[in-house]
Amino acid sequence: MKLSGIKSAESCHDDSIWAAAWVPPSTSRATSLLLTGSLDESVRLWHSDDLSSAAPPSRGHSLGVVSLAAHPSGSLAAATSLDSLVRVFDVDTAASVALLEAAPSEAWGLQFNPKGTLLAVAGGGSATVKLWDTATWQLVDTLAVPRPEGARPDRPAPSGIPTGNFILAVAWSPDGRRLACSSYDGSVAVFDTARAKLLHHLSGHHMPVRSLVFSPVDPRVLFTGSDDSHVHMYDADGRSLVAAMSGHAGGVSSVDASPDGAALATGSADRTVRLWDVGMRAAVQTMANHTDHVWGVAFRPDTSGAGTRAAGRLASVSDDRSISLYDHS
Amino acid sequence: MAGSVYIPVQNSEEEVCVALDQLPRDAADILDILKAEQAPLSLWLIIAREYYNQGKIVQFLQILDEGSGPEIDEYYADVKYERISILNALGAYYTFMATTGPAEAKEKNFVLATSSYNRASRIDAIEPSTWIGKALLCIARDELDKLEKAKENFKIVLDYNPSHVPGLLGQACVFFMMGEKEENIRKAQEFYKNALENYKRSLRLYPGCPAVVRLGIGYCQYRLGQLGKARKAFDRVLQLDPDNVEANVALGVMDIQTNEAGNIRRGVERMELAHDKDPVDPMVLNHLGNHFFFTGQHFLVEQLTETALENGRDHPLLKSQAYYNLARSYHSKGDYDKAGRYYIAAAKEIKRPKDFVLPFYGLGQIQLKLKDLKSSLSSFEKVLEVYPENVESLKAIGHIYAQQRQTEKAIEIFKKVTRIDPKDSQAFLELGELLLPTDSNAALEALKTARNLLKKSGEDIPIELLNTIGVLHFEKEDFELAEQTFKEALGDGIWVSFLDEKSDHSKVNINGNALNLRDVGLFHQLEEDGESLDLPWDKVTTLFNYARLLEQRHDTGMASIFYRFIIFKYSGYVDAYLRLAAIAKARHDFQLSIELVGDALKVDEKNPHALCMLADLELKSDGWVKAKDTIRAAKDATSGKDSYSNLALGNWNYFAALRSSEKKGPKLEATHLEKAKELYTKVLKEHKGNMYAANGTGIVLAEKGHFDVSKDLFTQVQEAAASGSALVQMPDVWVNLAHIYLAQGQFSLATKMYQNCSRKFYYGTDSTILLYLARAQYDAEQWQDCKKTLLRALHLAPSNPTLRFNIGVAMQKYSASTLQKTKRTADEIRFTLSELENAVRMFRQLCGCTYYHSHGFDDKKFGTHVEYCQHLLEAAKVHCEAAEREEHQTRQRLEVARQVSLAEEARRKAEEQRKLQAEKRKQEDELKQIKQLEEHFERVKEQWKSSTHASGGKRRERSRHDDEEGGERKRRRNTGGGGRRRKKDKRTEAQYEDDEGYAEMEYNDKSQDEAEEREYTDNPANGSDDGAGPAPKSPDHFLAAAGFDDSDVDDVGGPSSRAGKKRRAFSESDEDEEPVIKKRRVSPSNSAGSDGENREAKGNSLRDDEDDDM
Repeated sequence: MKLSGIKSAESCHDDSIWAAAWVPPSTSRATSLLLTGSLDESVRLWHSDDLSSAAPPSRGHSLGVVSLAAHPSGSLAAATSLDSLVRVFDVDTAASVALLEAAPSEAWGLQFNPKGTLLAVAGGGSATVKLWDTATWQLVDTLAVPRPEGARPDRPAPSGIPTGNFILAVAWSPDGRRLACSSYDGSVAVFDTARAKLLHHLSGHHMPVRSLVFSPVDPRVLFTGSDDSHVHMYDADGRSLVAAMSGHAGGVSSVDASPDGAALATGSADRTVRLWDVGMRAAVQTMANHTDHVWGVAFRPDTSGAGTRAAGRLASVSDDRSISLYDHS
Repeated sequence: MAGSVYIPVQNSEEEVCVALDQLPRDAADILDILKAEQAPLSLWLIIAREYYNQGKIVQFLQILDEGSGPEIDEYYADVKYERISILNALGAYYTFMATTGPAEAKEKNFVLATSSYNRASRIDAIEPSTWIGKALLCIARDELDKLEKAKENFKIVLDYNPSHVPGLLGQACVFFMMGEKEENIRKAQEFYKNALENYKRSLRLYPGCPAVVRLGIGYCQYRLGQLGKARKAFDRVLQLDPDNVEANVALGVMDIQTNEAGNIRRGVERMELAHDKDPVDPMVLNHLGNHFFFTGQHFLVEQLTETALENGRDHPLLKSQAYYNLARSYHSKGDYDKAGRYYIAAAKEIKRPKDFVLPFYGLGQIQLKLKDLKSSLSSFEKVLEVYPENVESLKAIGHIYAQQRQTEKAIEIFKKVTRIDPKDSQAFLELGELLLPTDSNAALEALKTARNLLKKSGEDIPIELLNTIGVLHFEKEDFELAEQTFKEALGDGIWVSFLDEKSDHSKVNINGNALNLRDVGLFHQLEEDGESLDLPWDKVTTLFNYARLLEQRHDTGMASIFYRFIIFKYSGYVDAYLRLAAIAKARHDFQLSIELVGDALKVDEKNPHALCMLADLELKSDGWVKAKDTIRAAKDATSGKDSYSNLALGNWNYFAALRSSEKKGPKLEATHLEKAKELYTKVLKEHKGNMYAANGTGIVLAEKGHFDVSKDLFTQVQEAAASGSALVQMPDVWVNLAHIYLAQGQFSLATKMYQNCSRKFYYGTDSTILLYLARAQYDAEQWQDCKKTLLRALHLAPSNPTLRFNIGVAMQKYSASTLQKTKRTADEIRFTLSELENAVRMFRQLCGCTYYHSHGFDDKKFGTHVEYCQHLLEAAKVHCEAAEREEHQTRQRLEVARQVSLAEEARRKAEEQRKLQAEKRKQEDELKQIKQLEEHFERVKEQWKSSTHASGGKRRERSRHDDEEGGERKRRRNTGGGGRRRKKDKRTEAQYEDDEGYAEMEYNDKSQDEAEEREYTDNPANGSDDGAGPAPKSPDHFLAAAGFDDSDVDDVGGPSSRAGKKRRAFSESDEDEEPVIKKRRVSPSNSAGSDGENREAKGNSLRDDEDDDM
């Protein structure tokens, strides 16, 4: 379990890079590509080996790209921006496919379900998760996220900024049956997607949880990264906190699990990327390639099919406008 | 032996036979015979000697007195030698009496002895035996100049007859004594050599001399270090005289000195033999006492020494030694009173400390033990007079200086000790401890040396020493070394398996439990599993420090396990609760944090540090009134001496002042402000280096408009914080400085300061500082930078509507200013258009999100902005069309120009004409626009006025509140003047004053601009409309600014310890969550002194890194 740097590309965007996602191979393209989104209002596409530009940038993401998601087919991608719009576009041509708006709610983190039929978008201050049909691009469902039991509605969130329950991120379980979302006050809610029903809250964080991800191999295991600089590992069905991993000096802005589920990568405000051994529940490596807040880490999904294994890749993006690519083995 | 003497009868052949063992009781009988028969004087002497031998001193004296009388001189005028002999015998007797008899008769005896010898000299000036007697008399007087005299006397004898044995012996004796008295070892050796030479010569001249001559040889050789030869000499003495006490003692001493068990036993046997021979010899008694002291048989010591005292009454040194032995015995038994008295007695017996200095040393120790530092110091100084480099005494003196707080002197002494004996670990230890408060680097060096020395000598290294070294490494941020040291100090224990990643404990139990900071079930489980959960008390501090280290390295999970383990074993360990509470607080789990502080308060309900922390948590959650009571309680618990609680109260008052100003209570505001200043000043008076108090003072001054003074203060604090320990951070002062720059219009400086602060302390993740930065950029009219900054802030805090609103305003402002420019490209206008569209979206969205409404925004406000932006948008569209047309025309023109020849100039002119017309139309458009907007503004103005008056207090309060809040958040501290202005009743004008400078230049509608200015700074943070209830959030800002969160909480645990106090000196202004490290004094092991555990410097984290907004 080891990361080794392959390349760090400086000035990939004109401003802070806030989002990264891998696009799986499509029918017309044999390789995975890296998608990055920035405050410079563009989304750019990169080759996975040398970080050379793979397509013209997709522009017009007003006020800056907050989050990115790639469709499992590899042909489409969606981005949310600070203007609260979701822009769906063709990966290879950057042509706009759909513009999704669910005013007045904001749009923050987003993810396609494993089958690619639905796009879940964190609805920010509306305290909902919006589900969009990817065939018609119609809003098909709105999952309301209530405050966890025992939360005190009369007490503002601890950050000093008054808030409702601002939903920051969403994650689908690998089997598509669960949808988890995290919020600014640190609460994490788990939904049964078949019944569109809230199952329960997972407690433990009291500061914003900006990123969460299910283990690709175990739909029960959910990882969360929070501004409290901890990474939590939950049993999403059993409602229990399995492990709390400390080590970052600043908030954890991004978590991603390796395709085999054995490793976890985190990006933090402390400018480092850490690699964690899920079995040991301990950090095994710290990478300091970046000189500013690391906003995104993403493992390249293993799409090589049974029997063969593609080399593991991890990408990280940062406020320093650079992208770092690592070999993960 | 006893035989008879025959006194010849005068004038006959007969003799009177006198049996020496049957001498008559009355010496007069014999005297009569002697006189009558005119017996030879030699007979007189023999009989006198016999009397003496029989102990009949009176008779002895009677005969000699008679025999030296004037009659005899007449009768025996020719018999010189015998007369001299008698006189000399008398002299010898008086000399002896002077040294052994009662002290009061000493002088008299010396005088008598002297006169006897003088008379003998008058009879014959060159008689050697007289000279020898005189010399012996001199020796007996035991003074250095007399020794010289004795030497001269002997020399006279020897000059006359170099082979004169008694002279040689005498001279040897003198040399030996001179050697004893000589300070300089080389000279002393010369004397011993001379003495030895003389002894040897006499032995050669007179091989049959008494055994004691060999004793002299033995002593000389002993002194010269020729131990083997000395031993032979003493053995020879014993061969000749098996009962010789001195030889036995000498051999015994030599045996004991070898320090080997067998030899010591033999030595003691010899001593006992000597003791049998002469049960009252004080020297033997002292030596035996000495021996039994070391074997711990104190009863024997006392018996022996008491006997010695009875018998050695007239020999001061021996007596002193005996007292010393007694004192030592009591000393070791802990009876310091008696020991002290005997040491004093021993010391009194000695004329000069250099004769026997040990009692002073013992006395010093006793006085130190009894805390009589002054006397102790003088005792040890006496030792130093004799042995200026005596390490033990120096250390004791250093220790006393340390106790008297004369740290520098103490340090000097210990430095000297370490120079004299660079292998004295104890001295390095003390030196290190002393250096701690002033020079931690030097302290670390000294302590490390101590550790290495201990390690080399194979001794156990005290855990306190390792702990302190670890803490010093920690403070230097040498975390690796600190960890190694702590681990070494802790040794084996359950913690090792906690730390071992491969062990089961860490995997299964720890992580799952890591969050529940109050849970100790894990340890119960381990206990049930049969694990040994020992935690010796002396390791708790180190374990605690180790946990602090883990925290510093962000391994809070393991740190919390350690803290909980400490609590599990020692449930009264308040600091561990507080650290756990701090961990919970850092994660914003305030409920849990309050519970943990509650646990701490259960242990000690008046613990000021727990109370302070509770107050802070109360401020963070809801009740700031409650918080004040808690702070008061903390202050009372420390009887007002704790600077933290004073600071907290100051901050509280500062906040109260701000609230008063909100509520239009200028009097109250002034009172609170004054009170705050007073409290800060008080803290500053007590602790000159308290940065937080200085910062607070700066804020109050800024609040009153004294920007220059406050700027100086802030600058100083900033420098102090930067040069201090790296663990002390004070971002607030950067922010305050930036506020000042901003208030003074130095936008670029303000911008830089905010940026540096954000990057240096918050990893750029503090949205509030970004908001300040945006404000500075806004004021500097850098609209795009301002927008980017706000976008970053929004990305961090997406739920903050203020940021969204301000982004809208920034875009609106940018657009307005672009449109106002006389020259702009179509691209610029197109960009402006998209900005305006975004702005409209932003405002609309705010409008639509009902959940923002409770935060101080209302649709009306948003509506106004939307309306305005749309106006702009329409205007811009017109501009855009015009610009696009222009562009288009330019393109066409180029096209035409390419196609048509020069001849078509006329047509081009016509086109220009058309262009002019377009310009005109544009200007008309603009004018129309201005009119429209003016009208609109009038409408708005009316609306405002009417709503202000109509909706009465509530509405008014409300908008006021908005203004205040906004103003505060943005510029509370930077526009002290502004604060004043706000209080004017003509709110609108006053509010806008500072914007007027550039507002005039705004695009067409001034009032609209003002509105946006105002609203830009709006901050809906405070949701309480009626202004009656306590505003839950605001306190943080101001308090944080005043350093509330960060102020110093030092020495939690060891309030009264000396070390703690000293440490305060530099921990004064640090702390917050800093070195919550505790040091333990290593108690000096020599003699007495600090035996207790003195903990040092502990801050306690009451600090919160977040929420330091103002």
